Amino acid sequence: MIIAFKVSVNGVLLACAKLKEKPEAELMFANNKHEIMQKLQFSNVRDEMIYLGFDRQSQTSGLITEILGKHPARMSRTDPAPIKYIDLILRNRDANPAELVRLLVSCCGKMEMLYSKKTQLARRYYRYMRDVSASWQRLCMLARPCFINGILTVRIDSRNDVGDIFCRWLAKKNPDVPVAVIHGKDAWVGNGKLIGLGGFIKTTAKFIENLKGPELDTGIETDIEVEELWDIFYDSQMIETRRNRTLAKKMQPKGVSDLYGMTKKDRYKVEHGIANCTLDRFI
Amino acid sequence: MNNQKPKPHLTLHERMRVLSEGTRYDSCNQTAVCHAFGPDGRCIQLYKTLLTNSCAGECAYCPNRSTRKTLRASLTPKEIAKITWSFYRKNTVEGLFLSSGIIGDAEKTSMQQLEVAELLRRSGFTGYIHIRVMPGTPKYLLEQIADHANKFGVNAETTSALNYSEICPNFDYNNDVLTRLQWTHDLIKKKRSETRYTGQIIGANDTQFVVGAVSEPDRDIIRTVHGFMNKYALMRPYFMSFDPVPDTPLENSTPSPKWREHRLYQASFLLKDYGCKASDFDDIFNENGFLTNDDPKMRLACTHSDYFPVDVNCARREELLLVPGIGPISANRIMQTRPIASEQELMRMGVVMSRARPFIELNGNRQTNISSFMESVV
Repeated sequence: MIIAFKVSVNGVLLACAKLKEKPEAELMFANNKHEIMQKLQFSNVRDEMIYLGFDRQSQTSGLITEILGKHPARMSRTDPAPIKYIDLILRNRDANPAELVRLLVSCCGKMEMLYSKKTQLARRYYRYMRDVSASWQRLCMLARPCFINGILTVRIDSRNDVGDIFCRWLAKKNPDVPVAVIHGKDAWVGNGKLIGLGGFIKTTAKFIENLKGPELDTGIETDIEVEELWDIFYDSQMIETRRNRTLAKKMQPKGVSDLYGMTKKDRYKVEHGIANCTLDRFI
Repeated sequence: MNNQKPKPHLTLHERMRVLSEGTRYDSCNQTAVCHAFGPDGRCIQLYKTLLTNSCAGECAYCPNRSTRKTLRASLTPKEIAKITWSFYRKNTVEGLFLSSGIIGDAEKTSMQQLEVAELLRRSGFTGYIHIRVMPGTPKYLLEQIADHANKFGVNAETTSALNYSEICPNFDYNNDVLTRLQWTHDLIKKKRSETRYTGQIIGANDTQFVVGAVSEPDRDIIRTVHGFMNKYALMRPYFMSFDPVPDTPLENSTPSPKWREHRLYQASFLLKDYGCKASDFDDIFNENGFLTNDDPKMRLACTHSDYFPVDVNCARREELLLVPGIGPISANRIMQTRPIASEQELMRMGVVMSRARPFIELNGNRQTNISSFMESVV
């Protein structure tokens, strides 16, 4: 028997439940049924198939307790709840959903195993989860949006699939303006009700270019003026006697900082220090 | 009294630079997201600024003391609100940290700070607001600030009224500082009971110590911090190393070593998260009551060698927390996944084995030390 499940939290939970019943079954995952068909054609398998999670939202509330236990224990305040844990792992490119299903089933309802990193597999998946949250947090830290046609817009680049959660974060942070996050050809719009769209929608980057938001008096200067103010503030916070270049470089990683002009400039100052001799002094 | 008026010909950029420089030693890292890291490695989370650096106070260590000749500047509440909004929209900060010199008296200054907070909240600002209120701020203003600020408190600066009068001659430690900390605590407690689970701002108490401006030993600082944690529910104290400022009464004093601030932070975390008491540190101070430049937790463990080895598979959480290399998170992991079979498991769980190994026992095995080796030989 082959359990074919959708790469989603629901799909994973349903697959866990089925695998508990049929531990000898093989697992197969995909984003849609078409992908499953392609996989089957390629491997030329004729086993009995069970499709899970591809149809309308299946009821999984009962499964959460059955699979994840009654009182899922987290080890620290920063650990996400088990459902969120699964969601984050599924956003990681390196994670294998079938392996995740087997890991969840092997925990037998003791979800502390997911966070304890006791076994090698649990440790690897914990690392995947942390990798996704780290890339999301890095965006929260370093993305520098700007107003384009009245919409707070930001273009992101991430190895992991975190565009939608970042958009939700940005929308929550700025509840009074429409926000847009562009990741490659995909895009998400938050607070869309302010421009006559749904509250939160997934769309294309091209669609965003044609969007126009309301004229807002946000009291915001032009981007150049804000950047100037930021440079003054950033420079003022440096304490030369406490300079720790290694730590600063580690905390402000080059790869992510290069995405935006402002953060690129900050990173340059981290590497080379802040010039205390400017042209103004000669004039 | 201060007779130097803010110079009107300074541009917004110039005033902003002067006032932001005035807050660079203030710590405020209590929000969720760091938005940038300065070249010195410290994170930037909030737009930190003074309302003004004109000050009526004569604090002996302060670069803004009234009689010192320095460039004076101020920002209007509207300007601060506008800059905060600009930075916030650009995602460079999570909110505002607002301190100030004393403009006339504490009441007038706090009113202006309140005005900034009100301006921001009225315009829909949902970010973090941290206000350093002035010593002597009236209670009614604290109540209003509590409605808007996520964190607020008055700086204790030192550990006793005597020391305080030495460095801050214009204020009274018991009345202007301790009473305000108590009021802040009472206000937060009241708000917490009234607004539980409604998503409204509750606030938190906050204070800072200047380390090394007077000759108080670390023993006094740690006892004071522990006292504040119990009495005023202080979650986290901030420490600022003293650096002598030219043209102040303390200009010829010795600067406090930077590691002292770091060790005090480590000690405060042991008080906050590890269940240590101030008296536990008595054995690790030197003869003058100061911490040495070593990890306080390691020193505590070495001093109380009779507590060890701790059996990882049956020790209580409090006992595990005494082991260097085991923090609250790894202690939780151990507690919830026992029995632990090997050191590899502990390492995967985040235990720093190179530090923990001498202090633990795992399945009857422990690292041999010289004394146990000698005992076995005898």
